[in-house]
Amino acid sequence: MRRWRELLFTLTMAAVVTLPLYGGGYLLNVSNLILIHMSLALSWALLFWSGQLSLGISGFFGLGVYTAALSFVRAGIYPLLGILLGGVMSGAFALAVGMAVLNLRGMYFAIVTLALAEAFRVIIRNVPDLSGGPEGMVLPSLIFDGDPSKTYWLTLIVACLTLVLLMVVRKSRMHIALTSIRNDEIVAQSNGVNIYRYLLWTFALSSAIQGLTGGLYAHVYGFISPEGSFSLELVLLPIIMAVVGGATTTWGPVIGAVLLGSVSEFLKIKIPNGHLLIYGVIIVIVVLFFPKGIMGTLEERFQRDW
Amino acid sequence: MELTGRARGKNYLITAVSVAGAIGLAYWKPYVLIEGVQRAGLYAAITLPMALLMGVIGIVNLAHGDFMMLGAYLAFGLSDYFGLDPLLSVLPAAVIFFLFGAIVYIGTFKRVVNAPELNQILLAFGLMIILTEGANLLWTSRFIKISLTYVSASLSIGSLTFGTFEFVYVAAALLILIGLQLFLRKTRTGQAALAVGQNERGAKLVGINVEWTHLIIFSLSIAIIGGIGSLFLTRHSISPIVGFPYTLRAFCLIAMAGIGNLTGILWVSLILGVAENLVLSFRGYAGWADLIYFILIVAVIMLKSRKRRAQ
Repeated sequence: MRRWRELLFTLTMAAVVTLPLYGGGYLLNVSNLILIHMSLALSWALLFWSGQLSLGISGFFGLGVYTAALSFVRAGIYPLLGILLGGVMSGAFALAVGMAVLNLRGMYFAIVTLALAEAFRVIIRNVPDLSGGPEGMVLPSLIFDGDPSKTYWLTLIVACLTLVLLMVVRKSRMHIALTSIRNDEIVAQSNGVNIYRYLLWTFALSSAIQGLTGGLYAHVYGFISPEGSFSLELVLLPIIMAVVGGATTTWGPVIGAVLLGSVSEFLKIKIPNGHLLIYGVIIVIVVLFFPKGIMGTLEERFQRDW
Repeated sequence: MELTGRARGKNYLITAVSVAGAIGLAYWKPYVLIEGVQRAGLYAAITLPMALLMGVIGIVNLAHGDFMMLGAYLAFGLSDYFGLDPLLSVLPAAVIFFLFGAIVYIGTFKRVVNAPELNQILLAFGLMIILTEGANLLWTSRFIKISLTYVSASLSIGSLTFGTFEFVYVAAALLILIGLQLFLRKTRTGQAALAVGQNERGAKLVGINVEWTHLIIFSLSIAIIGGIGSLFLTRHSISPIVGFPYTLRAFCLIAMAGIGNLTGILWVSLILGVAENLVLSFRGYAGWADLIYFILIVAVIMLKSRKRRAQ
C-alpha cells in the first residue's frame, strides 16, 4: 500500500515537472495561475492554523506586485531579486502591522487585514509619479523574456517551497503551539505558549509568501494596476481553495487549488461576470455544511495526519 | 455589555478641547464643520444597526453595507415602477428587509451562532460576496442616480451658503438612536436582547428565548439598514460596490466607541466625519481622506491593547 502511494506520488510529480515538454501554451498558463493561487492558499492556511482569519491576502500580494515591478522599472533591479524583495517587503510590513494589531485578535484582526488592501489602493492611487497611478503600468519586459517553460518551473518551485515549508512547520513544535492557540488561547497561554510572538511570526511568514507570490505574478504577467493587483478575487479564490480542500491540513489547499483552479477557469469562460458570485456561494455552503473541507473530513475518517 | 450606556461626563478636558476645536474650525473652515456633521450623520445612521447586532449577538456582519446597497436598489425600483419618492419608501423598504433579514438569518447565521468566530466571519464574507456580485449580475456595475429637486435645498446665513437636505441623515441617526434606546429599555423583547448581549447563558437560564431574540435583533438590524438604503439613494449614485466602504467605516466606528456602546457612536462619527471632510478640503490631498478610518482603526486597537496590558 505504502509502495503504491509512493509510486503514485513520484509519477504525479514527474508529470507535473515535465509539463512544459508536452503541454500546450494554454495548459501552461492555467497551471501557472493554479500554482500561484496554490501558494496563496497554502500561506493563508498557515495562518489559519493559528486560528487567525486574514482577509488581507490581496493587500500583501499587491504590495509584493508593486515592490517587484517598481524596483524593476525605477531602479533596474534584477527580476529574481525583485521577487525576493517583494517577499521581504510584505513580511516586514506584516511584522509592523502585526505588532500594532495582534494584541486584539479575532474579528479585529480580520477587519484590519480586510481594510489593508483598500488602504494600499488609496496610497497607490495618490502617488501616481511613483506607482503609475490608477491606470497602472506595463513592465518593459517579462521574466526570462517570457519563456513559458522557465516561467512555469519558477512558479512550480515557489509553490513547492511553500508546500515544503508547511510540511516542516507541521512536523515542528510550532504546529502544536499554533493548534493550541486555535483551540483555546487561555489553555495555550497557561502551558507557556507565547501567543503574541507565535502569531506575529506566523503572520509575517505567511505575508512574506504572499508578497513573494505577488512579485512572481508581476514579472510573469508584466502588468500592474491598483484594481487588478489588489482585487477581491485574490482574497476569495485562495480562501475557497484552502477551505474546500481543508484549511487545517497541509495537503488540503493543494487539492483545493487544483480542483477549484480548474473549475474557476471553466467558470470564467462560461459566466465571465458572475464567477465571483459562485465563489461566494461555495464559501457559504462549505462553512455551513462541510466546515472541515475534503482533507479534514478524510483525516477524521481515517484517523491520520495529512 | 452596556448597550444603553450614556456618555460619561467625566472627561471635561476632552469635551472642552473638542468644543474649542469645533469653534476654531467654524471660523477657519465653516464648510468642513457643516458637511462633516452631515457626513457624520450618515455614518452614525449606518453604524447603529451594525453596533446593535454586534452588541447583542456578537457577529460581525461584513455584508452590512451591502444590505444598504440592496435597500438603495429596492428604493430605486420602487421609484422607477411606482413613482414612489425614496423618502416615502423608507418604511416599506424596512418592512421588506425585516423579512429578508429573517430569511437570511434562519438560512445562514443561525447555524453558526455557536460555531467558532472564524466560521462566522468567513460566512459573513461569503455573504458579502454573494450580495455584491449578485447585484452586479442583476444590475451591472453601472452607477445609477435619481434626480430629486428637494435635495439641492440650501440655506444662506451671512456669506455662508450650504445644502440643508443632508441634515436628514443627522435626523435619521438621532431617530434611530432614540428608537433603539426606547426599544431596549421599554419593551420586553428589547430588555431580553440586552440580557442576551450581557450573558447569553444567563439569559437562557432565566427563561429568555435566546434564538427568538437573535432572530428579532438580526432582522431589526437589517430592516434599519434597508431603510437607510432609501435615504442613501436620495443623495448618492449607487452601484453594487457602494456598500463595502461603509462596512469598513462602521466597524472602525464600533471599535472606537467600544462594542455595545450605542450613544458613543454619535461622537466618534463626528470625529470621523469632520476629519474626513477636513482632509477633503485641502486641494490636491483629497484622495488621502479614504485612509483616515484605517489609521483610526489601527490607532484604536493599539490603545485598547495597551490599556488591556496595563490592567
